[in-house]
Amino acid sequence: MATAKDLRTLGDREVVALAKAGKEAAYRELLSRYERPVFSLIYRMVRDRALAEDLAQETFIKVLNALDTYRPEFKFSSWIFKIANNAAIDQLRKREVSTLSLDGAPGARTAEEVEATALQATDRGESPLAELEARELGSEIEQAIGKLRPEYRTAILLRHVEGRAYEEIAEVMDLPLGTVKTYIHRARLELREYLAHLRT
Amino acid sequence: MRDKQLDAGDLDMRVLRELTALRSFAPSRGFPDRVMARIRLPQPAAVVLFRRAGAWVMQPRRAVALATAYAASVVIAVRLAVPWLEAHAGALKLGVAWIGTQLSGWFDTVAMGAADWVVRSGAAEAVRAAASSGVVLPALAALTIGYAVGGYGFYALLRTPGRNDALARS
Repeated sequence: MATAKDLRTLGDREVVALAKAGKEAAYRELLSRYERPVFSLIYRMVRDRALAEDLAQETFIKVLNALDTYRPEFKFSSWIFKIANNAAIDQLRKREVSTLSLDGAPGARTAEEVEATALQATDRGESPLAELEARELGSEIEQAIGKLRPEYRTAILLRHVEGRAYEEIAEVMDLPLGTVKTYIHRARLELREYLAHLRT
Repeated sequence: MRDKQLDAGDLDMRVLRELTALRSFAPSRGFPDRVMARIRLPQPAAVVLFRRAGAWVMQPRRAVALATAYAASVVIAVRLAVPWLEAHAGALKLGVAWIGTQLSGWFDTVAMGAADWVVRSGAAEAVRAAASSGVVLPALAALTIGYAVGGYGFYALLRTPGRNDALARS
């Protein structure tokens, strides 16, 4: 019987096969592998922590309850990101939560809600000045990402934040490879425009 | 601000670098448990089949139809069996008597063999000696207590956890 330590050494396909055989530890391994990437993607898409958590939960429930329908010829990560992205896009269409706010989600009214839904800037142990710059630029980038069209946002987040290949992003977004490359290129151009005020 | 003095090339490079270095967010604590609580783990095929059959049978119309068919089959069986039993009563009595005699004979043989073994092996003498030395009663008492403790231990180990257990653990 595979232990949690053994499971960590296995690929997604093997872990999914164990999960299909009814091993609860395999389900938990998939959760631990993807809870942060999936939640981060959804959070940056919908910009509301509570909503992102609900959507991430629904994504995992949908995926893990439908493992029997998973086709091993596709990457598991593509499948789960696809469902997460669809959930986020549906939500954006419903609620138009499209503007980023470092001061909290658009619906946040109280100080606690504002603090709970505000995006935090990065902290990577740089010098105080560099950290200040990084935080400011990081914040600007988060704001700029929030202004992108949802499709551009998904593409740029999957490519540069999650480090996914163009082919996988095409699978996730159900788009031709060329379109994905165009989206990412345009997203970069838009990011540069939004951040143009940082130039002299 | 120093950032505002960055030239375009530096800014592009830095934007890409910052993009790849953006932090990842984690859901709140207990997220995996909340998800797992709503996951249906695959069951063994036999259990699934049994549950499906049960669910199929328990649908009102099917349940009524099955109960009616069962009642009808019982009535038909009795209607056929009773006349047959009446017609063959003599032969059946003889058969039952013969089986009884055979069983009784086998029982007698086994009982006599066991009694013979007890006497010949000296087991009877050993039991009689133990009884007279006063060891039997404490041994029986210890055995009874051990059995009761073992039984309670099994009960405690195997019982289904209740709501209070969950609350105590949390």
